[in-house]
Amino acid sequence: MTPSEAISMNDLNPARFQDWPFDQNHCLTCAMCSSSCPVSGVDGFDPRKVIRMVSLGLEQQLVESRWPWICTMCGKCEPVCPSGIYIPDLIRNIRSLRDREKVPGILHKGLTAALKTGNNLGLPKDDFVFILGDVADEIAQEPGFEDFSVPIDVKGVNILTTIHNKLVNTHTEDLKHWWKIFYAAGESWTIPSENWEGTNWGMFTGDDPAMKIMVGRIAGNMTRLEAKNLLWPE
Amino acid sequence: MTNYIQEGRIRLDKTRFQDVLATYHDPCNYGRKAERIFGHGYYDEPRWILSQCMENWVDVYPTRDRQYCCGGGGGALTTGYTAERVFYGRKKMEQIRATGASMVVVPCHSCHGQLNAIKAEYGMADLTVKYLWELVADCLVMG
Repeated sequence: MTPSEAISMNDLNPARFQDWPFDQNHCLTCAMCSSSCPVSGVDGFDPRKVIRMVSLGLEQQLVESRWPWICTMCGKCEPVCPSGIYIPDLIRNIRSLRDREKVPGILHKGLTAALKTGNNLGLPKDDFVFILGDVADEIAQEPGFEDFSVPIDVKGVNILTTIHNKLVNTHTEDLKHWWKIFYAAGESWTIPSENWEGTNWGMFTGDDPAMKIMVGRIAGNMTRLEAKNLLWPE
Repeated sequence: MTNYIQEGRIRLDKTRFQDVLATYHDPCNYGRKAERIFGHGYYDEPRWILSQCMENWVDVYPTRDRQYCCGGGGGALTTGYTAERVFYGRKKMEQIRATGASMVVVPCHSCHGQLNAIKAEYGMADLTVKYLWELVADCLVMG
């Protein structure tokens, strides 16, 4: 069944999500959220309906629906809600209920790889270090950057930075911007050779335990390398 | 970054993009989300940095906390719901088009990826999508 079809009273289970802290039962059905939402109407999506479905405990329909994944949790609805319902967080919680193997696209696959290998790509440490060195060599050929090198696993730095996996995959040119700024500013900085992944797809899939592990690894790098500040552009 | 500029640790050449009209996009996580979670939305800081790199830029409308999402957030770039994501971006592209800008500056990997991925769909293939830190790096004066 899809969310737009008629439902039986027997399917209602208002107790189901009563412990969720998003104030969904305060909904006035005013539709300010629906009016503010850039994807209202796509596939029949309507944030107001989602909120009512949570209130009524329509778990199966919510979990199977594409709606929570069409929403980008951009938060445009939240400030306009007169009842102060935490709509993006509520959407994320619905996402968390989906069977992990049925999470759309590559989100869960990337996260699984990250948990196993330290990054979404499953890129081995040697390859990662090689790519960084290669890009650093390119920068060193530019005027003004002649003695540039990339500091990997340097202890006691001011800034430790994470890396978005796409920058060591298809967009290596975009590694250069921050590195050049650090060089020009005479910054003391480093990149960890392991657990460098800056994205945290548990945020998108509603996977709190995974998210905590990923954040914990970054904190672990900060401790291990005695870094004072973290640059986490992702 | 703000400190680097204020303390003179980096110098920027404002003339490098003097012939370019740019605009700026507030990512949801720097703006609305930060405002709710941390009590401060980062609206002014990136605009200040932008102003140190170039004088010729205009805001989109609506802006800051009323900004439209690019459509690539929340993992949407990776869910495989491509048609929905492209459609989502229509308001963003209309906003950018209305400014007449040929460059949009963003400080977010998702927004950057989404805007680049959809611009051709809206007849704006020539739009330059630039990271804020890329703009700074482009304007660096060395030596």
